Amino acid sequence: MTDLWPRLEPLLAQVERPARYLNHEFGCVYKPDADFRFCMVYPDTYELGQANQAVRILVNCVNAVDGMAAERAFLPAVDMIQIMRDRDIPLFSIESCAPLREFDVVGITLPHELAASNVLEVLDLAGIPLHAADRGPDDPFVAAGGPCAFNPEPYAPFFDIIQIGEGEEAVPELCQLIRSMRDQGADRASILRAVADLPGNYVPSLYGWRSEADAQAAGSWIEPLEPGLPERIDKRLFLGFAESPGWEPNVVPFTEVVHDRLNVEVLRGCARGCRFCQAGMMYRPVRERTADNVVKSVLCGLQATGYDEVSLTSLSSTDHSQVEQILTQVNQECAGKGIRVSVPSQRLDSFGVEMAHLVAGAKKGGLTFAPEAGTQRLRDVINKNVTEEDLFAALDAALEAGWRRCKLYFMIGLPTETDEDIKGIASLSQRVLDRMRAVVPPDQKGSLALSISCAVFVPKAQTPFQWDGQITPEEALRRVQLLRNSIKYRAIRVGWHDPSTSFVEAVMSRGGRECAAWVEEAWRRGARFDAWSELFNEQAWRDAAEAVGLDVDAVAQRSYDTDYVLPWTHVTTGVSPTFLAHERALAQAEQTTPDCTFERCAACGACPTLDSRNTLAQPRVSGGSNSHEEKSYAERTGGAPLPMTAQEMEEYHGRS
Amino acid sequence: MADPNQFRLRAVFAKRGRLAMLSHLEVAHALERAVRRADLPFAISQGFSPHMKIAFGAALPVGVGGDCEIFDLQLLERVPEAEALERLQAASVPDLMVLAVRYIDPHAKAASVAYPVSQYTAVLSHAPAELPVPEEVVVVRKKKEKRLVVSDFLAEPLRLEGRKLTFALEAKATGSLRPDKLLEACLRLYNDQRGVASPHIATGDQDSMMGVRGAAVDEGSAAAEPEAFSVVSNVGEADASCGDPLTVVTCTRTGQR
Repeated sequence: MTDLWPRLEPLLAQVERPARYLNHEFGCVYKPDADFRFCMVYPDTYELGQANQAVRILVNCVNAVDGMAAERAFLPAVDMIQIMRDRDIPLFSIESCAPLREFDVVGITLPHELAASNVLEVLDLAGIPLHAADRGPDDPFVAAGGPCAFNPEPYAPFFDIIQIGEGEEAVPELCQLIRSMRDQGADRASILRAVADLPGNYVPSLYGWRSEADAQAAGSWIEPLEPGLPERIDKRLFLGFAESPGWEPNVVPFTEVVHDRLNVEVLRGCARGCRFCQAGMMYRPVRERTADNVVKSVLCGLQATGYDEVSLTSLSSTDHSQVEQILTQVNQECAGKGIRVSVPSQRLDSFGVEMAHLVAGAKKGGLTFAPEAGTQRLRDVINKNVTEEDLFAALDAALEAGWRRCKLYFMIGLPTETDEDIKGIASLSQRVLDRMRAVVPPDQKGSLALSISCAVFVPKAQTPFQWDGQITPEEALRRVQLLRNSIKYRAIRVGWHDPSTSFVEAVMSRGGRECAAWVEEAWRRGARFDAWSELFNEQAWRDAAEAVGLDVDAVAQRSYDTDYVLPWTHVTTGVSPTFLAHERALAQAEQTTPDCTFERCAACGACPTLDSRNTLAQPRVSGGSNSHEEKSYAERTGGAPLPMTAQEMEEYHGRS
Repeated sequence: MADPNQFRLRAVFAKRGRLAMLSHLEVAHALERAVRRADLPFAISQGFSPHMKIAFGAALPVGVGGDCEIFDLQLLERVPEAEALERLQAASVPDLMVLAVRYIDPHAKAASVAYPVSQYTAVLSHAPAELPVPEEVVVVRKKKEKRLVVSDFLAEPLRLEGRKLTFALEAKATGSLRPDKLLEACLRLYNDQRGVASPHIATGDQDSMMGVRGAAVDEGSAAAEPEAFSVVSNVGEADASCGDPLTVVTCTRTGQR
């Protein structure tokens, strides 16, 4: 491997925050003698990527294999990219400071829709051909994974392999296959053909892309180019998640990064079933780590890293059946050590007085809740399953525990939304501030702060709202304006996300393979770092659409019937299309579906498809408006089996 | 309960190699985490936002290393010095390594003010025959322009031996002259005199250099005479300039007193 450090070092005085290019952080792993090298790339800067869970997990998984080394790489900041391009220095890995193109496999995570142009920046800066078709025997295999892989087509030409689902087992398996075939002298094409047979791996170059009419007739947009190829790629599920330790080796960065703390994943998956939420469909079934596992992991992790903050992460941590036990024990063990414990994603109906005290600690920042919609009608449409009473109860608990700053998240442009729903956001926000003022002693009123944040709804692939179009940017701005005019209280701060980035998100989320040319053209016209609002170049994306002749507004805004075959039909999360269509019908009827980890099975299909079950540390008890204290679990669920414990799950799989 | 001020451990550490590129804040965070990993019985401040009772010596700029940097740590109980050192070393990365510890008088002066004079050694990219030193360095701090008279801060004159340049700067109550800014100013003068462009240097944290009095970049005093500068000569060295700009390879604080 070439060591680029001697060329890089003299340049570091010329760039901002050189600490992000230094390496030598506490906890990084070197395996100079490995015969197979994997580089995990986060397609944004070190500060944004270093704390990414996928990067940490997958680097550890590959390093655990004998003879394999995994390293990290990030996209340098704009100033550094310029200097590297001026001097012909290719993109390098952190640990060995080696060019990416010298690795055997380069894995790029696709964390969100606005990272697409950065993927091309990564490949180009690395000197790796942008198109899989142009790569030869000396180029690495370039693989993608992560949330956006669930609609892989806008990325298809750029990747040799796209992995669907959880990578704990899938990534080492892929590396093993490539290593063993390479050692036997297999060529690139044969290796890729073999990879296509590995569960969860999609090799786009082996499939043609049909016209819309052909796709509708055939029931799929992709056409296998040779016999025997799988026609459907099911996501991979890490069955061992619940029993696996929540602590694993962690790199402790020098420079300040986002989420710069110990992150312990307490559970994976969320079955609340919000109809707009991709993560809620993608990570099913729900799997909890036990309180013992989590507490041990927290203590062990704090000791090993030296962090003074721990976050109990998941899609919905307060839903964990043992969250109170976990918080109580962690608080006890860490008392007097100046440790902060944080719980992201507070759910309104599970945030009570007790929880408020348990997560309070000494320092109270702002508390964020996400009612998502301003009226009960629309909250029912999206299946949020929380009421205003839940919001007010959570608020009371938070204020009583000492919080004074509150932030509410809403979405604008949800299916069926009317102006009444927008005015509902204003009305709800004003009543929240009234409530805050009423509860807090008069002398503390000055410290109260309420802000609301609005994002434009982005229809996401693999959700019940995947068939629903996005509103136009002009309409989004009109609704934002309506909202601002409807809020009479000047004390409420209103923030909103730029609707012009939301249309790129919608296109990337819903588009087909034809969008890849658009991404490439936008990148050639200067688009990169689109998630950084000051660097987002809307003109590049608009001009690119014109240049490649893609009607991007139609891709973002068109609504379909549920029998329309969507461009990602060949990729599945385990949740059945029938369920998604049924949920969309329920949404239009303003009817809700309960969470199967609290109540009866909603028949989403994930468990049978993936041969798995919800794995809970103990049965969950719902709170707030969803509580059923008068009924037993069996009564609520009509005698359905309890979700399994981790041990039962293991036995279940041992038998089958 | 023992007086938390009773056990005040002063640690000497090195900031070297590529970690010279860390900022003062990054060094502070890294060392705090090393203390936690070492599992020493550190004291925690009381109040709204409890934090470790650790105090750092005078800050080093990004890009400047140090052979004898200092932090003071309050402990709740006495850990033998040898054991504390061993635990800290096991928890540290090689280029940010604790070298020695000793208990000091709980009422001794804070590490940040105890040693006002810092000795620096810079290694240059080549050996100049002589190096001009500006009379003033103009820096911008919080959008305000500030003129620092170099002689006010020089505790020892600059000495040039081949590629090695040594000097000592004294911190004043009113402020201090950063070693990297002084070097940048000297090198810019040298390069300008030869018509070579100095490489751009990232402005880093709060100080950004505006110019050097007398140098062509400083429009306000472009007419200042070159006589205003002092010059350090490199005894016995011919100018090894080869058309490349003269740059700093490393700069290290070698001593504090």
